[in-house]
Amino acid sequence: MAARAAERIRKAIGLVNSVADGAGDEEITPTEIAEAIRDCLEMTEVDRVPNVRRYLGESLDAVSDGMPADFVAMTLYAALGALQEGGPKL
Amino acid sequence: MDSAEGRGRTLDEAIDAALIELKETRRNVDVKVLRETPEETVVEVSVIGQSPAADSSAAPANGTAEQARGLVEGLLKHMGIRAQVTVRPGSDPSTLDISGRDLGVLIGWRGETLRALQSVTNVMVGRSLLEGERIIVDVERYRQRREHTVREIAMRAARQVKMTGDPITLDAMQPFERRAIHLALEGDPDVMSGSIGEEPERRVVVGPRKPASE
Repeated sequence: MAARAAERIRKAIGLVNSVADGAGDEEITPTEIAEAIRDCLEMTEVDRVPNVRRYLGESLDAVSDGMPADFVAMTLYAALGALQEGGPKL
Repeated sequence: MDSAEGRGRTLDEAIDAALIELKETRRNVDVKVLRETPEETVVEVSVIGQSPAADSSAAPANGTAEQARGLVEGLLKHMGIRAQVTVRPGSDPSTLDISGRDLGVLIGWRGETLRALQSVTNVMVGRSLLEGERIIVDVERYRQRREHTVREIAMRAARQVKMTGDPITLDAMQPFERRAIHLALEGDPDVMSGSIGEEPERRVVVGPRKPASE
């Protein structure tokens, strides 16, 4: 279900936003964010809609390259947007 | 920033007393509880929202904020959304206010679209930002209102915790909302806040502060 994939992407976005917003209630490492994105990539649903896997891959690369949290978030939002536009209503 | 002290038997009465003095509405103020006893509550109410009319008299916005304002304005134009973008005077971090009609589409589910717009804006002006500097994007003061609302929720939860001694778990919130709660309660000697769960279902728990000796 696309809803499950969207939920996982939202989890990754939430982690990145916690870093960007300085929520201060959780120690979040790049490894945890990368794990959350890999969880998304492991789902077969992301292959059913064009570009979702590509955006997720780009966001994983961005984490590996130490890009700013906003950049990672933007790429994840792109993945979520593609999933919402290409899949059933979430 | 204008502020006034309010006193009353309850939190609401104290806030209302200060609002009358300031001639403001709850929407435009920030509330800090100074003292709370069974007999009396004392609050400090500060005006944080300035009306658009006050914008012209405010200090000029910094260059990066102006650059971000222009970019967001262009972005909205490409999206076919008619809205006005202004830099909130005196805001730190710099805040862009987007106002117009029917802007719900820019806020999205639980503010998701607004948050995405903020991420894009920060990426666009990233090179002009100093280390740790950020641009906040707000639509029709949605974010500001949410922060006020969660602060009030935090204060109510804190009062209940003080009365019952039992911890309270709040609804799932976004990072900026959780941050607002932690900041609202950090100075309270009787209660403390923490978070449990995983995104996007992460929740703040307000509980009694344990003595340092324990």
